[in-house]
Amino acid sequence: MSSKKFNGHQEMVQLVGRNTAAATFLKSTVRQQQSAQGYRPVLSDDPKPYGAGYSHADILRASSKSKTESTFAPRFDRHISYTDLDDDWDASFDKDVMALGINPNSRSVSPPNTLPRTQSPMAAQDGTSSQSHSPRLELYPTSRRNGGSTAGLRPHYDRIVKDPANSLHMIYHPAVSSADTASAAEIELLNARISRINKFKRVLQSSNVDISALRNLAWSGIPDELRPMSWQLLLGYLPSNADRRVSTLARKRREYADGAKQAFGNGVDHAVWHQINIDVPRTNPHLKLYSFEATQRSLERILYVWAIRHPASGYVQGINDLVTPFFQVFLSAYIDADVESFDPGQIPKEVLDVVEADSFWCLTKLLDGIQDNYIFAQPGIQRQVAALKDLTQRIDSHLAKHLQAENVEFIQFSFRWMNCLLMREVSVKNTIRMWDTYMAEGSTGFSDFHLYVCAAFLVKWSAQIQTMDFQEIMMFLQSLPTQSWTEKDVELLLSEAYMWQSLFKNATAHLRPSGT
Amino acid sequence: MAQDEYDYLFKVVLIGDSGVGKSNLLSRFTRDEFNLESKSTIGVEFATRSISVDGKTIKAQIWDTAGQERYRAITSAYYRGAVGALLVYDISKNGTYENVNRWLKELRDHADSNIVIMLVGNKSDLRHLRAVPTEEAKKFAAENNLSFIETSALDASNVELAFQNILTEIYRIVSAKQLDQGNESGPRPGEGTTITFTSSPDEIKKDSSKCC
Repeated sequence: MSSKKFNGHQEMVQLVGRNTAAATFLKSTVRQQQSAQGYRPVLSDDPKPYGAGYSHADILRASSKSKTESTFAPRFDRHISYTDLDDDWDASFDKDVMALGINPNSRSVSPPNTLPRTQSPMAAQDGTSSQSHSPRLELYPTSRRNGGSTAGLRPHYDRIVKDPANSLHMIYHPAVSSADTASAAEIELLNARISRINKFKRVLQSSNVDISALRNLAWSGIPDELRPMSWQLLLGYLPSNADRRVSTLARKRREYADGAKQAFGNGVDHAVWHQINIDVPRTNPHLKLYSFEATQRSLERILYVWAIRHPASGYVQGINDLVTPFFQVFLSAYIDADVESFDPGQIPKEVLDVVEADSFWCLTKLLDGIQDNYIFAQPGIQRQVAALKDLTQRIDSHLAKHLQAENVEFIQFSFRWMNCLLMREVSVKNTIRMWDTYMAEGSTGFSDFHLYVCAAFLVKWSAQIQTMDFQEIMMFLQSLPTQSWTEKDVELLLSEAYMWQSLFKNATAHLRPSGT
Repeated sequence: MAQDEYDYLFKVVLIGDSGVGKSNLLSRFTRDEFNLESKSTIGVEFATRSISVDGKTIKAQIWDTAGQERYRAITSAYYRGAVGALLVYDISKNGTYENVNRWLKELRDHADSNIVIMLVGNKSDLRHLRAVPTEEAKKFAAENNLSFIETSALDASNVELAFQNILTEIYRIVSAKQLDQGNESGPRPGEGTTITFTSSPDEIKKDSSKCC
């Protein structure tokens, strides 16, 4: 093995700093006047949606281009019916609402940096980044360290914007030479990783990606570098046919831009917008990424556009959690930094627009499979909770009996597991690993397979729960000790879930409630 | 922890619009914690704390509910068996106060008719942003037979008092009722009694001299 192997071009790239103030079409100027305590938005109280106290209506109206007077009547009836879930909206007009980052010239220019050359935290962290990143550090030391506002942005990001497959040529194998001080075990680990990356690359580089082969690989986890593209393929967002990719992506991103313009253009549904507005700042509050203005504005738009396009469910709390793995994974495709502490305001607007559009579409794909979870009375969740109860009786009857004896109802603790796909129970990083497997499971991964994951998750605590009374069980299940969970724990959970699925799936007799 | 002995167990629900501070009121009361960065509540969350009234130990079992309307079908199930409700609004957001009537209707539809309701104007620390005058809310509460208090989960003012008041009020009603019914024996200390105004005792587990 050669000591250092780099496939990519070694071109220096410098970018124009983006004006973070220029949000797309929803620039809320007064939005977040900080109060003395700095946490409550200052707003007028115009309309009174139920379950939502105030509204951003005025601000929105003032700042949106459309001056249309909106009525406060529910707007859902004006929308297309629930069955109209076709991904392909009418992309009737073709103005460059958003520059979609397909600018062939941007790669080679090095325009003057317009923003102050502040050292980003990411640049400072580079030295301590993971193994896979360190070789690149040697390649591009100056572009990142002195890169000012674009620190952390990957070289050739514009090519990845255009076609994620271009990222495949830019994966630098962190090869270890014998001269290195790495231990034999480390070398072995690294080599295993490289061979795994190569397996994925073989599948992904094909002119017509074999999705079932990709699924087989993805089940056991997707390497970080290949995850953005793999997820998009697994969800059916990115065409498996390489020839269709560039045009499809360009079209979908334009459709999102148009759809967003439409959604915000006719006046805003105040109840929906209000709810999103109070939830976005409470989304993954412990991760720095989600505290940045650029992140929050993007999430707001994604959630609002989705809600307006899906009137039967609308925005339901918890969907804000579900968008974050996409946002984080797709953003990571363009940066060489720890995504969870990265400020997306640092990357060019056209790149962030693409991250936003792709996140929107993939969230849409995910939610298409679990729509019943979020419509009135949430029948999907009710079904899942009932199924979890039945399954638990089969898998661990002692636990089921104990829960019953203590009057603990499954809905009391597992409602949230279903509503947020366990994202309130495990970290975003671990969720992302779980989703590799969910997507590999196919269209029912987020519903059927998730049920078995929940069952495996519950019985994991069986012994502890059986020593507890009602109150202790409730408190315990509300804040399970998963903070220290690593990928290993998640993988164990997934394999246990797989085992239960193999035993019980399609075996409806097993699932039939025993007593009744 | 031998603190699990109590004379009375009262189930109380926290309801009100999204974002008014229900979860922080609960965490302030049960753990003396406040978190600016708390996530939204999904479904319901649960916590307990015991206080002492007239030498009796009263254990409050508090269910914190999600404020969004979509969850109403799920959360209203928790009203059953509740003897108290804290109906929370945000004094700086008029809309959350306007919706109090709709929440009262929720309680009328799903809770016991004798449930003790306390109207709570939270975020009283936001003086400069006040949108709901204290007098107005006080008047509304009186007209509707509700107790009333303003609190701040952030600076902790009146939180303790709010819970203390509603639990005491429930206790008074319950003990008066027991006298009326000539129930002289009363609840035995250490054994605990679940109090419901109607007879739906299956709601909450009865006993508990059990320690952890």
